[in-house]
Amino acid sequence: MPRLLASALSLRRDPRLLKLPPYLSLLCIVVGVVWLFLLPLDDYSRRTYISENALLPGQVHTYFGGSDQNVFRAYKHETDELAGKGNIEVNDKLESIAKGLGLKVGRQNFTYSSAGNTHSGQNIYAILQAPRGDATEAIVLVAAWKNVKGEPNRSGVPLVLTLARYFKRWSLWSKDIIFLFTPDSIAGPQAWVDAYHDAHDSSRVASLPLKSGALQGAIALDYTRETRFQSVHIVYDGVNGQLPNLDLINSVNHVAGGQMGMGVAIQEMWKHSNSYHDRLQTMLRGMLKQGLGLASGPHSSFIPYHVDAVTLQPFGDGWQDEMAIGRVIEGTFRSLNNLLEHLHQSFFFYFLMQKERFVSIGTYLPSAMLVAANFTIMAIALWVKSGQPEVQKVITEKTETAEEAEKLALPNPHAAMERDLFLPLVLVAACQFAGVVPLYLFNHLSESALIPAFVLFTVLSAILPFLLSNLLHTSATSTTTQQYHLIRSFSLLLLGMFLSSLATLNFSLAFLVGVFSAPLTFVRPCPNSPILKWLSMAVLYILSPTTVVFVASVLPDLDEKVGCGLGEVLRQAAFAWDVTGTYTPVVVWCVWWPAWIVGVVSVLGRPGAGDGKVKNA
Amino acid sequence: MNGGKATLGRTAGLYAGAAVLRLALFTLFPRLPDLLTGRVEISTPVTSFKRLQEGLFLYNHNVSPYDGGVYHQAPLLLPIFNLLPSFATFPIFTYLLYIAIDILSADALLRIAESGEAGSSARFTSPRRDKRWSGAVIAALFLFNPFTIATCIGRSTTVFTTCAILHAIANAISGRHFHAMVALSFASYLSMYPLLLLPPLVLLCYDRQKQPATGAPNAWIKFAATMVMDVVGALAVLFQMSFCLTGSWEFLSSTYGVQLTLSDLAPNIGLWWYFFVEMFDSFRSFFLAVFWLHLSSYVGGLSVRLRQQPLVVITLLLGIFSIFKPYPSIADASLFLGMVPLYRHVFPLLRYSFVIAAIIIYATFLAPAFYHLWIYAGSGNANFFYAITLVWGLGLSLLVCDLAFAVLRDEWEVERPEMVGKEIRQI
Amino acid sequence: MRRFFASFLLSLLSFLCFSPYAAIANASSAADSISTSISDSRSDYHEQLILRPLPLSALLASFNFRSNTSLSAFEAHNFRFFPRSLGQILQHAGTRELHLRFSLGRWDAESWGARPWNGAREGGTGVEMWAWLEAETDEEADHKWLTLTNALSGLFCASLNFIDSTRTTRPVMSFQPEGNHIDANAANTHLLYGVLPHEVVCTENLTPFLKLLPCKGKAGIASLLDGHKLFDSSWQTMAIDIRPVCPEDGECVLQIEQSIDMVLDIDRSKRPRDNPIPRPPPAHDMKCNTSKPYHAHDTCFPTDSAANQDWSLSQIFGRPIKGTCPLTDPTVSPVCIQVPDSRIVFASEGAIEKKNPDQTSRCFDFPAENDFEVFLPAPETQDGSVVVDQHLVKPETPLLYAERSFTGHGQERGGVQTILRNPSPDQEVEFIYMESLPWFMRIYLHTISARVDGQPGKADSLIQEVYYRPAVDRARGTQLEVRMTVPPASTVFLTYDFEKSILRYTEYPPDANRGFDVAAAVITILNRDKSVGNSRFAAYNLRTTTLLCNLPTPDFSMPYNVIIFTSTAIALAFGGMFNILVRRFVAANEGPENGLKKGVNRLKAKLAAMFKKRGSTPAVMLDGEKKME
Repeated sequence: MPRLLASALSLRRDPRLLKLPPYLSLLCIVVGVVWLFLLPLDDYSRRTYISENALLPGQVHTYFGGSDQNVFRAYKHETDELAGKGNIEVNDKLESIAKGLGLKVGRQNFTYSSAGNTHSGQNIYAILQAPRGDATEAIVLVAAWKNVKGEPNRSGVPLVLTLARYFKRWSLWSKDIIFLFTPDSIAGPQAWVDAYHDAHDSSRVASLPLKSGALQGAIALDYTRETRFQSVHIVYDGVNGQLPNLDLINSVNHVAGGQMGMGVAIQEMWKHSNSYHDRLQTMLRGMLKQGLGLASGPHSSFIPYHVDAVTLQPFGDGWQDEMAIGRVIEGTFRSLNNLLEHLHQSFFFYFLMQKERFVSIGTYLPSAMLVAANFTIMAIALWVKSGQPEVQKVITEKTETAEEAEKLALPNPHAAMERDLFLPLVLVAACQFAGVVPLYLFNHLSESALIPAFVLFTVLSAILPFLLSNLLHTSATSTTTQQYHLIRSFSLLLLGMFLSSLATLNFSLAFLVGVFSAPLTFVRPCPNSPILKWLSMAVLYILSPTTVVFVASVLPDLDEKVGCGLGEVLRQAAFAWDVTGTYTPVVVWCVWWPAWIVGVVSVLGRPGAGDGKVKNA
Repeated sequence: MNGGKATLGRTAGLYAGAAVLRLALFTLFPRLPDLLTGRVEISTPVTSFKRLQEGLFLYNHNVSPYDGGVYHQAPLLLPIFNLLPSFATFPIFTYLLYIAIDILSADALLRIAESGEAGSSARFTSPRRDKRWSGAVIAALFLFNPFTIATCIGRSTTVFTTCAILHAIANAISGRHFHAMVALSFASYLSMYPLLLLPPLVLLCYDRQKQPATGAPNAWIKFAATMVMDVVGALAVLFQMSFCLTGSWEFLSSTYGVQLTLSDLAPNIGLWWYFFVEMFDSFRSFFLAVFWLHLSSYVGGLSVRLRQQPLVVITLLLGIFSIFKPYPSIADASLFLGMVPLYRHVFPLLRYSFVIAAIIIYATFLAPAFYHLWIYAGSGNANFFYAITLVWGLGLSLLVCDLAFAVLRDEWEVERPEMVGKEIRQI
Repeated sequence: MRRFFASFLLSLLSFLCFSPYAAIANASSAADSISTSISDSRSDYHEQLILRPLPLSALLASFNFRSNTSLSAFEAHNFRFFPRSLGQILQHAGTRELHLRFSLGRWDAESWGARPWNGAREGGTGVEMWAWLEAETDEEADHKWLTLTNALSGLFCASLNFIDSTRTTRPVMSFQPEGNHIDANAANTHLLYGVLPHEVVCTENLTPFLKLLPCKGKAGIASLLDGHKLFDSSWQTMAIDIRPVCPEDGECVLQIEQSIDMVLDIDRSKRPRDNPIPRPPPAHDMKCNTSKPYHAHDTCFPTDSAANQDWSLSQIFGRPIKGTCPLTDPTVSPVCIQVPDSRIVFASEGAIEKKNPDQTSRCFDFPAENDFEVFLPAPETQDGSVVVDQHLVKPETPLLYAERSFTGHGQERGGVQTILRNPSPDQEVEFIYMESLPWFMRIYLHTISARVDGQPGKADSLIQEVYYRPAVDRARGTQLEVRMTVPPASTVFLTYDFEKSILRYTEYPPDANRGFDVAAAVITILNRDKSVGNSRFAAYNLRTTTLLCNLPTPDFSMPYNVIIFTSTAIALAFGGMFNILVRRFVAANEGPENGLKKGVNRLKAKLAAMFKKRGSTPAVMLDGEKKME
């Protein structure tokens, strides 16, 4: 092992190699980005397939319909009367209906407080006990009273009630079925799932009065429209960019698209001509959602607990009626009911290009890894460089031939300069820990104070580098070139490390941050060319975390609305942090921001002449 | 190496700082200790504090802790923790005990460093020896190493072994042979593998004994024999006490048998667990033998080749144990990494210091991520974590090899002074 | 061979023609004991079916078959009603008392109330058995237990032989012998308990069960038993209890009691077998709540949950009762229905209805030869909604509600939480909670704690006594028995933590990712009056549901890769160390050249030798030196 490395590392004496790294990292970034854009091509993406044989989606005949339509109308009348009523009254009504169906009913109160305002409510859920089974496994059917956008789930709730009544008649269920009604689409499901796994903070979320077995899967129904629809939209992004098992999406796709003959859409691509452009757009939207890591529906909260879940949204004007979506759910539940084992066969890391094309992690991970790798490469290069004494110091006279002269002229590693690591370590560490301040700030301030705080923080973080670099120069020993090398080396090493670790958890976030902070690889102290200096300064400030957050908040988002605005973004971020435990803010403030600060400092740097002394071992 | 007073003051401040930091972590983050205790990187089946509590509970309720699959730690730990006020009511005492142990280890390390043994042993004096860190710095590097802190907060019982080993070395250097041997016996009694440190430690004692060895040809044989006798006697006493304590010998199979047969396959950062999860039953015993043989095979070679510097042998062995033990944890790594700074003088000869640092840090961050993907998110499988344990092992072994190389080259340059700073290779 | 056959015939003959006389004789002799309770041990064989309608259109049917044979006759291999196959096994394995349970589904105590037989005749999901064996030493007991389980697994087509040492425990407090033993607690009687939570009970277990009956399910109430109906029920348990009974007067008899309790979902059972699919009924024959304002031809608020109160035996079981078993004790009426006397019940002609004094049940006697049928008409309803409780016997509330579930998530560690609710307003409940867990759930006993709902802090004083036998890896399962009390009208949470251990990849079942079944916890409620001698026998039994424990799984496709990778890592480390130790240092430009250079030089030498007419060695030296500088 060491001998292998010895040959590799002996190269570090080659001067050409020392010039190489910047180009190498540039190459990494370019290849990484280009790689991403190649993915939608047929050669890189694959057709989806079902790998869990037990699922058998679309193999059963579905009987939901007929007189159940009448029941649905009745229940719809019941729920329409409840429109605008309080959460408790709604739950009372739902409880009476569910009890009438012979289901076990439980309620749960929860209160979250985030950004100064409190989100509280009461979940109600009914358990249909598997006729012959005992409570070892369960599947969940969720209908939130309001969907993510806040529209009332008009047809969804009565349809779920009708389905509950219909399912009760079957004797073939091998798993309990839990019907969950939540007042909203994010806090409610989160509270329920947390409590189901006893991972809840009992001061804010009540425990569940009755439970069933291990959750095997969940389907959420977001059905706000009251007219007939054309196709169904599958929402599958989980919190922090975790995705459900691909088999679940495939089976829903099979049942809806194949069996029921309705269209299937993903990532709000309402019409998808299977072209490169559409595929790319779908993938990029997926990456953006994943990168933000926000909850995109009632299903999102289930996924972190290894419960595969999706939300179904009927959309478009067509001839499909409520019974059709009911049959889709019936078919999907029959498939889940067939499961012998927890879904584990198929992929958990993938990008869907189109409802039936995907790329798996093996294919796309390299792009993020390359972007992350460029930082590491640069860090190593800077480290080696920091060990190099100035060339003229080791020039030797007694040389016979030309190439020998060159060979000896090279600084060899054993005459490496003494690196003094103290200042760089302290500076980088300090910046890293400083990241905690904005993190705490933006997650604990009240809503009104968020925007002023953000502005204030933007200004401060813009000024901070200047203060730091002045500090570095007014300090007793002026900072040397080597120390600047080391500062950048450490900061880039950390950044590369964080990003490559993050890429395995949340690929898109790692990729986005990596691309945004790519310039940090190339900026260097340039005391003698102000143009270059201010140019790189400009680039850095344009790509600073604060700027990016601000721009993202005012840009129009996916569905062509105008941007939701800075305050809304900050409020949502705080809410996601407090309720669903989204860690995107951590990455932004504790990984990206410190690296950015160090980058700007090193640009401003005026390395003093004081170079370390050559140490002859 | 500066004035005693200043050093005293500095070390006292250092220890205080370390203690305060640990206390703060214990008290300000009350959930942190249990969190760390649950991490597989910190707690192994043979060192977990939760299992110790279980054993203590059973012991107090007159159920033999060894008549079960949970408690695999030495019997004498039970009365020790029994003397403390119960953990449930006054956890602070347990915290204080662990903090004290850490500081004792640091103190031993400081004594080792101040003795200068690393740079100039009885038989060899390094030309670079003047380039060294003071004991305080080395103790600080040990005390403020994140691994050490995590181990202390996680309350893994490895800290006792660490302390015993360091004191054994310190005593050996200061020429108190008997104390050294007793300390080593304690270490071996607690977790068996330190027994492999006996040969180099005997050599160390032999080199450092007060009056230099007499010319008698087989004086060293007599010396070694007495040392071995000391260890055997101490171990015998300890075992007898344990027997009186538990009333049966079943603690032997349950404490050391588990390490020998790896019956508990709980994941850890070592290389054994996944290997024996996937191992075919018919070959299990064979490979167990091979692994143990491999672990012990280093002792002889290193002791012979590095006869001049026994302390180096001990350091390298500690490094090797922290990789190839049956149940390694970051506690073992922290002991090794605490010893490495003693060789400040050969650092310039290290060839891959940055690579090693990068690998170790990468593994440190990736291991929890991959473990989460496997166990909680369920989106990755066991191979993720296994791959990281491989990387970790390779990184550490690279460090061990590089240190060995540096030390040997240091020795070599004594006989070839003109070679200082030149390119060399090995044939 | 022939002799065996002859003896077999003989025994068959003796059974067929001998026992009826005995039965009749005995019945006539015991004519005075008509009114005595069923648990009278003198009547040699009788059977009874008790039907009890339950809320939410469910029906509890309890079949009970009991036959006795005197111990002396048993010892003399003179089995009369006692099934010979079983008897010989018992004798071979030295079994004093045996209890065997096959169970499926879950009893819904919330709506169905207390369990039949106070839960004494039921087991946890899967197969459960416990027995008192006669053995000198533990080893002998284990050996006999092994024999017994293997033999019974053959007899009942159940994989009882998988009850190995890791699934066997020796309960200390939970079980008391039901029969009268001379020395129940003597050193040479061993109680062993084994459970198979994963076993799926199905028809192959029912057939041998029926084979043990004197009438083999051809006649009598057993003729109703049919796999399709039995295993479509919401909850069912088959029990076999064999115990010696010694009445004060008369000699001891060995009593075998077979019982089947099942809860049928009436409207599911009433579906015709040829068309079991619950298609939505036509709109016009749906039961709607017409009182709703929006009620219309296409809008219907269903009220059929309380419907289906009416049923008849042949609707439910697909056939009527085919007469009575000729061997049965005629003094015990074969069919009883527990409905209020106010409700009308039609029975087929020839049957005599006997209303019991307690206003809530009536029994039927009917001639042995013709079929028997019962019809329960739907209670008259006012405006579509039914007042249930007037037409059903109000189910009595059980002494305790228990619900067990896992806490936490992930495959590393977890906790078990049992919620115990005592409904009685004034009486506290004392009971024994028994868990027998697989060894790979390493429980931490020091984390066991009880807390009362609504009260802060722990209430460990409720736990009075704990018997704990820790698991040993791959050798023994965990056995935990807790004697505790629940104060009146309160809910107690009993929790403890455990750790999931990873197994060798050969130890996982084929469906490793499904998880491992954890057997039901057995809760034995001790009866309140401590007066009844020293042995406080169970007042009420209940089982929790089983659990599914997910263990971390390795990658099953990896063994070779893992062996290769790990070995490579070790080889790299060892090789590197070895190289550094054994090789000696030279300056980069000293010593012999290494592979590539050497090859190049040799080539050069060859060329030199070819062109120049000079000895090749100097050329080599020359080139060599040139290279070396």
